[in-house]
Amino acid sequence: MSAPKTIPKDAQVMIQILKDMGVTEYEPRVINQMLEFTYRYVTTIIEDAKIYATHAKKSSVDADDIKLAIQCRMDQSFTSPPPRDFLLEVARQKNQSPLPLIKPYTGPRLPPDRYCLTAPNYRLKSIQKKVAPSVGRISVPRLSVGAVSSRPTTPTLGTTSVQSVSTKVGAPVSLTGQRFTVQIPPPSQMTTTKTSKNQFFPLMSAGRCMRAAGSGCLGVNLYRVLGCSKQDSDTRSELTSCLSPQLHRPLQRCPTSSSTRL
Amino acid sequence: NESAPQESESNQIVSCSKIHIPSNHLGGFNRSNANDGRLLSSSPGAGTGGTATGNNKPAPGPPEEQQTLLAVLQFLKKSKLAESAEILRREAGLPEDALDPKGTDASGSGPGLAAGSGQVDGVDASSLLSRVTVSSSAAAQAPKKAAAGEDQPDVSVVLSAYSQQGDPSLYDAYYSGLKRFIESVLDCHRAELSQLFYPLFVHMYLELVYNNNESVAKAFFEKFSGDQECYYEQDLRILSSLTKKEHMKGNETLLDFRTSKFVLRISRDSYQLLKRHLQERQNNQIWNIIQEHLYIDIFDGMPRSKSQIDAMSGSLAGEARREANKAKVFYGLLKEPEIELPLDDEDEEAENEEGKPKKKKPKKDSMGSKSKKQDPNAPLQTRIPLPELKDSDKLDKIMYMKESTKRIRLGSDNLPSICFYTFLNAYQGLTAVDVTDDSSLIAGGFADSTVRVWSVTPKKLRKVKSAADLNLIDKESDDVLERIMDEKTASELKILYGHSGPVYGISFSPDRNYLLSSSEDGTIRLWSLQTFTCLVGYKGHNYPVWDTQFSPYGYYFVSGGHDRVARLWATDHYQPLRIFAGHLADITCTRFHPNSNYVATGSSDRTIRLWDVLNGNCVRIFTGHKGPIHALAFSPNGKFLASGATDGRVLLWDIGHGLMVGELKGHTDTIYSLRFSRDGEILASGSMDNTVRLWDAMKAFDDLETDDFTAATGHIHLQDNSQELLLGTYMTKSTPVLHLHFTRRNLLLAAGAYNP
Repeated sequence: MSAPKTIPKDAQVMIQILKDMGVTEYEPRVINQMLEFTYRYVTTIIEDAKIYATHAKKSSVDADDIKLAIQCRMDQSFTSPPPRDFLLEVARQKNQSPLPLIKPYTGPRLPPDRYCLTAPNYRLKSIQKKVAPSVGRISVPRLSVGAVSSRPTTPTLGTTSVQSVSTKVGAPVSLTGQRFTVQIPPPSQMTTTKTSKNQFFPLMSAGRCMRAAGSGCLGVNLYRVLGCSKQDSDTRSELTSCLSPQLHRPLQRCPTSSSTRL
Repeated sequence: NESAPQESESNQIVSCSKIHIPSNHLGGFNRSNANDGRLLSSSPGAGTGGTATGNNKPAPGPPEEQQTLLAVLQFLKKSKLAESAEILRREAGLPEDALDPKGTDASGSGPGLAAGSGQVDGVDASSLLSRVTVSSSAAAQAPKKAAAGEDQPDVSVVLSAYSQQGDPSLYDAYYSGLKRFIESVLDCHRAELSQLFYPLFVHMYLELVYNNNESVAKAFFEKFSGDQECYYEQDLRILSSLTKKEHMKGNETLLDFRTSKFVLRISRDSYQLLKRHLQERQNNQIWNIIQEHLYIDIFDGMPRSKSQIDAMSGSLAGEARREANKAKVFYGLLKEPEIELPLDDEDEEAENEEGKPKKKKPKKDSMGSKSKKQDPNAPLQTRIPLPELKDSDKLDKIMYMKESTKRIRLGSDNLPSICFYTFLNAYQGLTAVDVTDDSSLIAGGFADSTVRVWSVTPKKLRKVKSAADLNLIDKESDDVLERIMDEKTASELKILYGHSGPVYGISFSPDRNYLLSSSEDGTIRLWSLQTFTCLVGYKGHNYPVWDTQFSPYGYYFVSGGHDRVARLWATDHYQPLRIFAGHLADITCTRFHPNSNYVATGSSDRTIRLWDVLNGNCVRIFTGHKGPIHALAFSPNGKFLASGATDGRVLLWDIGHGLMVGELKGHTDTIYSLRFSRDGEILASGSMDNTVRLWDAMKAFDDLETDDFTAATGHIHLQDNSQELLLGTYMTKSTPVLHLHFTRRNLLLAAGAYNP
């Protein structure tokens, strides 16, 4: 390719190499990427070789050093798949065992939990300050998406609160850059609001982030309503226990939540 | 006789004694001096010549032999055969402590590979020779393995395969001599003998390079590379960049090429000619090379014509031996379970097999067996464990049957309509597509490591409610399945994040609950389509996984990748259940057979292998493509396999006989998708050349000459009827076709990313 402006010699060499290897169609960025790679690789090798040469107390770097450097780097960055014979041997051993029988349907057929990505991958921070329990009141963590201002009224009790919580949240939240606040509405719990907030907020945000990222944690659905007529620590433990996702057994309840059923 | 106690211990020791053959005992072979310590001095490649009788008094001669002996000693120790080890050490005069593990880099050579014999000509001992495996049970299995794994020698810790076969500067002369000879034979033999050129060329070149004769190698390459067949161009280009021994080390494919035997199929007459010619000459170096690196599968009969040979050759390891394709394959379909349609269904009258007028039997499609007898070509229902049908599966099946009654019958006069789903703004990032069987969801895997799922029907995608919300719903209501869905999360598109590399393979489960995706990061992820989150990550391949597919019955899935193996997994095991190893290059495409008992894998080594799920054996090897295979499709009746590759041809294979039965030429670029219509009458192919082509599959499979002769010798006589079979070519607007899918009513859906 002959462009009006002169291409640097290195790039011309690279173009020629690509042509020799039979690569005829490529984006122009490829040349730059190849050159960068070449530069990085060569400098890495030469630096390694220098180290080896000084280690061997040689005054200058020679071919053996370079060879050694290449070999070491090869094992590190350019690993190749195992050799065929090894694979055949492994395959032979693996294929000897008969196929395991399939148990009758016991729920979704997944590996043991340890090997799944369904466990929560976060832990809640421990809160030292005790919160005065409010008997009979149920604090409803609410999410208002995007709005920082506080909502005037908040329902607090009963199943209705569940519904309102759900309705407050609109379309599925995609998280990049959205702010959300958690409000603990009941004014009687003002004193405890701060701590409760701290308690819930990391949970919420962490959970939200996880859900959006889907990075391996079954998105813990944060619209879970938690009754916390007990101490904070209990609430916390309830949270953690409830939040072990049991999604495929949806009707199974958290062990402690039954007592705090709305 | 000291060999006796050795031999009595186990089969392995028999092999050991045979190893001690000094080179000059091999009848007639002009072994040259610089014997590079090969473990097997020429175990017969083509069933000729021989392993001389065991001679257990080795001359502790040149250091290379020492290494061989040390390796054997080490092997014996590993197998806990202390007595034999002692005897060997004594006999060989090896020093007591000479047992440092030579590993794979002894004497600075590359990974050691015994010039394997592995061939099946019944010489069990010779096959044992090449198997210096660790477990002693291997010996008992080796004869079996020799039958099953005929094309691979097991490696050992011993050294590599290229000894000097004479003077390097004479290679040129040898090759030219052979060329002259082959050009002078009769026409009918010439085509067959010309097959020799390519493997000989490559092996001679590699030997020169390996033995550090770089300039000679280069000259040799330049002189003769132009003569090779055009379809080897890619390989030759790779070879041309390989000029030093160190270069060879990193290239796994080439290493495999060196050690596996290149298979040639030559008629007996031509073979006799060749043999006579080469053995007459003084320096039969070429004969040696043939012995070691080539496997000549001789058949009786007419020599093949050039076109026949061209059709079958092209793979990295030559063609397939006849024995490789002899195993019985159960290609029939499993019986469909009997499901009664609800009585208020308006279906047309169904067959009453049991003579009960009240029950309406479901109408089976034409491929199902109406008889109660077991189809002899079908596997037993219990051959491999399959998940039982749940209620939801039964409902799905009923839906399926209802839809199939409304299916359009396609044919050469009744072509399907094609509905194309174009992915816009993908910027070449769309790398995988899949559609559910009932055509309600489309998933795309992208180079930015996301998986996106769209709903094709007006029904949106919803997530399941949270656990607390689920507590509140009425579990007894009829529409509980609707109530568990959270309306707030309804959307047409769901994006699944989790992979850390481009997603190259996607597959929906048949019950539409799960989605699998395989990626360049080496993992396969199982996503739930009810919560749209990731459930499991299956780690096993440590290299990019190019393709994955769920079994037609769910629960199992297969994946294949860069590490040249395909793995069979079950969703509830975190490790693979089966490993299918044997390909020489990466596996680019994996497909289940409709009866879920076999897996077909297409690879960059230009072969397709059919593997048995039950025991992991390779039951078929199909060669003939001239480029890496990217598309595979089983016909709905399970008898045939269609494959598409970068060479633009679609090849049709008869699985039962193991033969190529058709070749469809027409595409001009890589074929990435192939699909048979629901009843198998039409084959649709989509390619990078922006077209979808429809082929008449009925006609292609109609008149097959599968008489005994054909089956025995594997000759095919392909008619050049691609033009007649082509029913239509449909161009897209610069959108390569990545995926094809026939709906249950035989509407063709196609998907691709717009690429202006």
